Amino acid sequence: MLQLKSMLNCIDNSGAAIVECVMVVGQKRHASIGDRIVCVVQKQKGASESGMTASSNATKVKRGDIRHAVVVRTKQKVTRRDGSVVRFDDNACVLINKAGDPIGTRINGIVGQELRTKKWSKILSMAPMQA
Amino acid sequence: MNAAPLARRPLGCLKASLRQARQQRAPAFLARQLSTVTPKVPSTGALPEHNFFRMIDKKTKKTRSAFAIYAQPPPVPVTTAAKATAAKATVLPAPPPDPMPLLDAEQIKRMDPTGARTALFTKTRYAARVGDVLQVTHRRGGEPFAGVCLAIRRNGIDTAILLRNHLSKVGVEMWYKIYNRNVAGIEIVKRRAKRARRAKLTYMRQPKHDMGSVADLVFAWKKTRKVIGSRAGAGKGVQAVGKKRK
Repeated sequence: MLQLKSMLNCIDNSGAAIVECVMVVGQKRHASIGDRIVCVVQKQKGASESGMTASSNATKVKRGDIRHAVVVRTKQKVTRRDGSVVRFDDNACVLINKAGDPIGTRINGIVGQELRTKKWSKILSMAPMQA
Repeated sequence: MNAAPLARRPLGCLKASLRQARQQRAPAFLARQLSTVTPKVPSTGALPEHNFFRMIDKKTKKTRSAFAIYAQPPPVPVTTAAKATAAKATVLPAPPPDPMPLLDAEQIKRMDPTGARTALFTKTRYAARVGDVLQVTHRRGGEPFAGVCLAIRRNGIDTAILLRNHLSKVGVEMWYKIYNRNVAGIEIVKRRAKRARRAKLTYMRQPKHDMGSVADLVFAWKKTRKVIGSRAGAGKGVQAVGKKRK
């Protein structure tokens, strides 16, 4: 149930750590697993010493960047066709570009299986696990 | 009399209206005039003039009323010979049995012909209970999901279990319907040492009580199963309450 102002963890190696949802793309409802959102990068990874200046070579995004992302985990329960339900302990996303390709090259963390039905096979193949 | 202030009484303001009512309480000599009791009209048994319920019944061609008092059937003169038959006639037929439990039982029988799934979650000594670590194998392949059972929702064919685990340091919870055909097997990995004193262990979501990952428990269980299997012969796990092994 992600909407305007929701904060999500970013679990790829694009350099973003925490992003804030500013829009759900293509629908008027809240976003769930597999939905595309527009977000603002609020915190960078390894940016503990100071905000903007400490961007290493690995980071592809900076604090304040507006990017698209795909939701991969939600705290809200997601019901599947067979009646089973999955729920994660956090909300997480993976940054993508406008074409839909992931910005990072790795994903560390589990992603929801709903990505398969929503045709995010690239993200699924990058993920170490899916539940 | 006090008609005008009565009409202007503010709505929804209980205190004010109570105060007004107190002020307007009529003295004893006016009580008769203020009373709202209408004089009694001798009831004729006829329906009132308005036609709220003046519908003509299609079958009987009589006026149907929601307030109708149906006449008692005239008493049948009882003879001693007719008494026995009358007693028989007055015994009402037994009401039809509640169809829902029957439907439930039939569905369970269809989805679980061997009765193993039912047996695993009925309240017996050997059944799986809340707090046990269970592993659910999915028919469509993929990793079997293991986790500590936080809750069992017993609801006939809808019976479901809630498993919680940590996968790559993120808590994951799954509800599984036990009679789901996609659930190929449910196995008890580890029993809780002591019976849980709650029906739902949702407190185990808190970091203080969280079990964390059960991967090591599953690993140890698999090892023991392998040892037992190699000793006892092909694929006869003793500790596991499996339904369908691959």
